[in-house]
Amino acid sequence: MTAVDLIELAAQFVFVLVFILTTRQALARPESSRANTALFFGSVTFAILQGRLADLIGPLPAIVSALSAIAVMAMPLLLLRLLDDFAGVRRPVTAAALVGFVLTAALILVTPAPLPTPTVLVLIAYFVIVAAYASVGFVRLARRTAGITRRRMEAVSVASGLLVLVLFLAGVFRLVPVPEGLRSGLTQALVLASALAYYAGFATPNWLRRFWREPELRAFLHRAAELPRVPDTDSIVAEIERHVGASLGSRAAVGLFDPAANVLRFRHLHDDLPDEIGPSELPTWRVFTSQVPTYYADASRVAPELANGYRASGIGSMLVAPITAGERRVGVLAAYASRRPIFVDEDLVYVQLLADQAAVVLESRALIDEATRVRAQEEATRMKEDFISAAAHDLKTPLTTLLGQAEILERRFRGDPDRKAELAGVSRMVRTSTQLADLVQDLLEAARLEQGRVELHTEANDLARLAIDVASQQANADERITVEASQPVVAEIDSTRIRQVLRNLYENALKYSPGGAPVRVRVWVEGHEGRIAVQDGGIGIPDGDLPQLFQRFRRASNVDDRRFGGMGLGLYICREVVARHGGRIWAESKLGDGSTFHVALPLSAGAE
Amino acid sequence: MLFGSAGTEMGGVPMRAPILVVDDDPDILDMLREALEGAGHRVLTARDGLEALERLRTAQPSLIFLDMRMPRMDGWEFARAARERGNTAPVVVITAAGDARAWAKEISAESYIAKPFTISQLLGVVDKFAPPRPS
Repeated sequence: MTAVDLIELAAQFVFVLVFILTTRQALARPESSRANTALFFGSVTFAILQGRLADLIGPLPAIVSALSAIAVMAMPLLLLRLLDDFAGVRRPVTAAALVGFVLTAALILVTPAPLPTPTVLVLIAYFVIVAAYASVGFVRLARRTAGITRRRMEAVSVASGLLVLVLFLAGVFRLVPVPEGLRSGLTQALVLASALAYYAGFATPNWLRRFWREPELRAFLHRAAELPRVPDTDSIVAEIERHVGASLGSRAAVGLFDPAANVLRFRHLHDDLPDEIGPSELPTWRVFTSQVPTYYADASRVAPELANGYRASGIGSMLVAPITAGERRVGVLAAYASRRPIFVDEDLVYVQLLADQAAVVLESRALIDEATRVRAQEEATRMKEDFISAAAHDLKTPLTTLLGQAEILERRFRGDPDRKAELAGVSRMVRTSTQLADLVQDLLEAARLEQGRVELHTEANDLARLAIDVASQQANADERITVEASQPVVAEIDSTRIRQVLRNLYENALKYSPGGAPVRVRVWVEGHEGRIAVQDGGIGIPDGDLPQLFQRFRRASNVDDRRFGGMGLGLYICREVVARHGGRIWAESKLGDGSTFHVALPLSAGAE
Repeated sequence: MLFGSAGTEMGGVPMRAPILVVDDDPDILDMLREALEGAGHRVLTARDGLEALERLRTAQPSLIFLDMRMPRMDGWEFARAARERGNTAPVVVITAAGDARAWAKEISAESYIAKPFTISQLLGVVDKFAPPRPS
């Protein structure tokens, strides 16, 4: 066997192999393009087998070799039909090619073998013209697409070009004498190259598919790391679509699920197609609900209501995969091509891979958005608290002068019996500006507690002593407060803050106990806690108000706002201060029968 | 404490070292002057740290009330500069900011009063750090 024979054998082997592979594909999913592909290689295979058989058992009946020749002459027509499947061919062209084929077949049948040179030249001319037309068509298709589709179409156009060259050379060799070795060597080498190129283009093996996709996939994955930082989701979606389209040689659309509206939202694709797809039998919604990636070879058949839109926007077949991040259904990724054979079943796995990547990108984006939102909210809260602090601070300076000046006058008038009327007025000023100062203080204190800016300066203190101290300093108490404590109750506390708490509780007790009812304060130890109870005989608190009592700006509903001033910050401050100490505060009350406020503070170590 | 006519020496009490009040708010300065003079103290005032340093060149106060946030020279700078110049008078921080205690600590002040304060609070501090000397 010579080298030329070996090449010939290899070329024939490849053609037969591709025939088997494409036939298998065509049987798995009968489709015009697949059938045409199988037929194309079938015709070559027929000619090859006929030749081999003749070599083995001698000359076959004339009709067999004639049929073999006709099969070869069918190749350009089948190639044209394949081009039609992939890109569309104008009707008159296919019709002309068909007429040409019928005429050549007739010519072969009526002419006794061996065919004379002029006849052969006519047949070759027909073959070359039609095949060259198809080759150019594939070249133009390759130029229009990208990614793997572009590479497949390039392979097909190279293969067809080589086939044209083989036939062209066959014609030349008929006219110009060339040594047999060169002639068949060149021919067989070209045929082998053509066979391999067809194999790559029409029956692309998976390893080649992966190899061809790699550059675009790499580019996408590289970009995916930065994508979540792109400022708006719309741009991210556009870029995902661009990358997916580029790597598949098709176009792509991302539909994002909007849970509020229960729709998939797409970027505007075409006026005849909806931008939002809700519960329906449409491909994207089906995949979104089933979460199963699906290949729709003919989108219009699945969604006839959108057939016009599909046609207008060049959507023929569709690969749809769910974009899902863990449990969260983000949306769907749809890759669509105007012609069916652009996609193969294996592409579905690839689209799902891209959809998974898109899910990572979009989920990261969502997390970034969420983090930004939380930060903005925190910032707004902080600004509000800052504003309160600043405002309260600015109120304090004039208040200092007001209060001080009023006090100076009060002291001066106090010793002067002729100034009784002035004294009463100035005393009112002192009292109200003190109230104002307390309110500002409360507001600031509440803001600081809210911001967690209060630092405790704790040291061992006797709660009983503190309770007595505060009672003795309480303004307007008129000895209504009695403190009962049988022993020192030493706890690790910030005495300034706890004084504030007691002052607040005493004030409330006095304020809400009309008619000079006594206020009873008890201090004792219970378990690991120092306990203080402030009991009044006041108006009491309705049951429903008890839980909200310690919230900001909350006051019991039976409090007459005009009679009892205050913003409802006092108990909030008490609760926060006690909580900072690791203690508890609560109230017990019976409407009309007084209230008891309890404070429990952890005792300092070893004080029990 | 008697509130006689403002600005006069109490009978028989010898001239005491003045109290220096430093605050950028003129109303507060006037009010404090009246309150302290009413209690029988001599009062020097300054609108900022630089003015206060100027006062220290000619007088040795018994007590300094010091606001912290002031233009030109604030309380922190003044406290440092005063210490460098050998001032030994106790310093009491008076501020409307919530961090009075922390700020007082920062400049090693003897005490602090948060604004707004009462006259009794003010005089209580004066009695503690600048008690009237027995005659």
